[in-house]
Amino acid sequence: MNKLHFKVGLFAAASLLLAAIFIVYLLHARGFFEKTFHLQLAAASADGVAPGVPVVFSGIEIGRVTTLGLNENGGIIIHTEFLGRNAKWLKENSTFTLDKPIVGGAKIRVDSPDLGAPALPHNATMLLLTSDISKEIPALVERVKAILANVEYLTRKDGDINVTLANVKTVTGRMTGEYGILEGVLGSPEKARALTDSLDKTRALITKLDGLAAKADQWLFAEKGVAAQTRESLAQIRLMLNDAQSSLKKADALMTNAVEISANVKDGTQDLAQLRTEIDDAVRKANDLINEINKKWPFAREPEVKLP
Amino acid sequence: MSAVAELPDDVARVSLDLPLRANLSALDNIALIPLYQRHYGAADSARLAHAMLEQLGHAAIALLRDSDMTPAQRFIAKLARALILKRPRLVIDRPGAMLYDVPYPAFIRQLAAQAEMTGSWEIFDFRWNQALYQE
Amino acid sequence: MNFLAASIESLGAKVVGWFTVGYGMFAFLAQAGLLLLEPATWNRATFDVVVKQIYFTAVQILHVFLGYALVISWLFITIILSTARDFGLTEFASEMTIRVLVLELLPFLTALFVALRSGSAINTEVALMRVNNELDALAHCKVPPMQFEFLPRLIGGVVSVVTLAGLAGLLALLMGYLAIYGMNLAGFEAYTRTIAKIFDFRIMAGLIAKCALFGLAVTVIPVTAGLETPKKLFMVPVSVLRGMMRVFFAIVAIEVVSLALKYI
Repeated sequence: MNKLHFKVGLFAAASLLLAAIFIVYLLHARGFFEKTFHLQLAAASADGVAPGVPVVFSGIEIGRVTTLGLNENGGIIIHTEFLGRNAKWLKENSTFTLDKPIVGGAKIRVDSPDLGAPALPHNATMLLLTSDISKEIPALVERVKAILANVEYLTRKDGDINVTLANVKTVTGRMTGEYGILEGVLGSPEKARALTDSLDKTRALITKLDGLAAKADQWLFAEKGVAAQTRESLAQIRLMLNDAQSSLKKADALMTNAVEISANVKDGTQDLAQLRTEIDDAVRKANDLINEINKKWPFAREPEVKLP
Repeated sequence: MSAVAELPDDVARVSLDLPLRANLSALDNIALIPLYQRHYGAADSARLAHAMLEQLGHAAIALLRDSDMTPAQRFIAKLARALILKRPRLVIDRPGAMLYDVPYPAFIRQLAAQAEMTGSWEIFDFRWNQALYQE
Repeated sequence: MNFLAASIESLGAKVVGWFTVGYGMFAFLAQAGLLLLEPATWNRATFDVVVKQIYFTAVQILHVFLGYALVISWLFITIILSTARDFGLTEFASEMTIRVLVLELLPFLTALFVALRSGSAINTEVALMRVNNELDALAHCKVPPMQFEFLPRLIGGVVSVVTLAGLAGLLALLMGYLAIYGMNLAGFEAYTRTIAKIFDFRIMAGLIAKCALFGLAVTVIPVTAGLETPKKLFMVPVSVLRGMMRVFFAIVAIEVVSLALKYI
């Protein structure tokens, strides 16, 4: 017997055995022998989400984001993958929240309040909320209220707009030029454009609010779309959005009137300029708010509404 | 003696300039040739090499390495390596430099008788050693 | 002006020298690779020499090497664990341990170990073969030295470094588990999760490729350095010195490139 060959053989056999054991162990650890469980998450923005972002349950990683994609409606669909053994933590009433801590990478947190609930089926689609939205809703509501008050103030019976418009009515004279009568009212094409700009902005905002309200509706009536408490807050915002919208429409109508009124130029100019800045301010704030709401809540779309 | 080094490729040489592979035994050194040149199996090559050493009457050196051999044994290993090449000419280059411990003309003659090879062996040596071959 | 010209010339000579060395190395590697493709190479004799090389490079030093890997792993695990505890980052300790030890440090040290032991021996042997005319003798016999001298060393080097680094890595994984969770199975699942997270396909392939490159570097460079030794006995130490310097630079370069690929 060749001693050298025997030793090398022993070494090779032991190494191969260890390597094989390690590979089988690794494959087991990575879930090669298990079915993988797939889940789609619908989100409004993919900010901070990338393939490899972990999905954690009670602080333990149970899955990962595999790919990001857009659906036909332009919404973000995040595909996640779980090991079969971890799928038991995903229930129908689980919520998925995107956590972006100040230190460390983003992660998707799963909360399953009732582990007795029925399990999520394979390939289900769930909504992805941005971190701690339930805490932010009251603040949002406050801001909506403030803007609403602002708009209300502008459009109240004896409010600025009405007073201003009353002044405007006294302005006389027929004007020519690109901006028609307004040019006369404001004294220069630039100023006239500024007012029509405000008008345009207000109208754009109204359209946006419309869209948002529709979305909120879809959300509210989607089964299990959001938690009950969130739903209440949403309903509140929905109402306020309607209010804001009608107020803005009123302002819009008044301003449209103003364009049609022929009146004395000089008296009205000062008031109109002030009114414009106020409206602009209100519109800007409302716009910011809407953008923020849009960012935080995913679009509700048909496929997501049909949750099991 | 550059003349010897410039001999054509079909000449097998036994020379001081062509040492044995130091970390292989005599047998392995000889077996290299059938093994890597003619792609024989390892066992066949070893058998051939052993047969060659036996023919030369020195099978005992099979497992010795270069540094463990006497000059005569080393010469035999080199000769066996040259013989197993099976080239038409065999040139022994300055045997005196390799076989300094034996009366080498007689030694070579004796080996040649044992080898029973076809073909001739040529010995290149210094002119002043010619007298040694006169017997 | 003269001085400038002279320094430019010496720089040029150096660059040409590096290129020659690099070219020689890659030409040698290509030749070895082509030989591997030839079916005639795969015979019993080559296999026997490969086995012998693996014995000398890996098996003979296995106990020493594992002892050394054990000590190094234990030291590093202890340092990482205590530091992590001090900074309250214990949950990253196991991942950190595995990344530092198994992926970087142990393969690197294995390559250095094999280079110091076998690489220097190979360099000396090839240099001596060249100086002693043994290579000329083989050429006279029309036996190409590549097949039975160099190629088995290359294969032996690659197999040895990959295996030794793998064994040391497994040992470090075991040590890490014992150091973090102690002699029980409580942390098995968490540890498995960490391992699963780190060792994805890319990392495993990269690790094996890196070890294989280390194995090639610690054998090819000494062989080529030995082959370019002038036929003078006093040049043998110089050849070994140059060869080992190149091996060291090559190992560092491979490590740096692998790190860059992984984290940049």
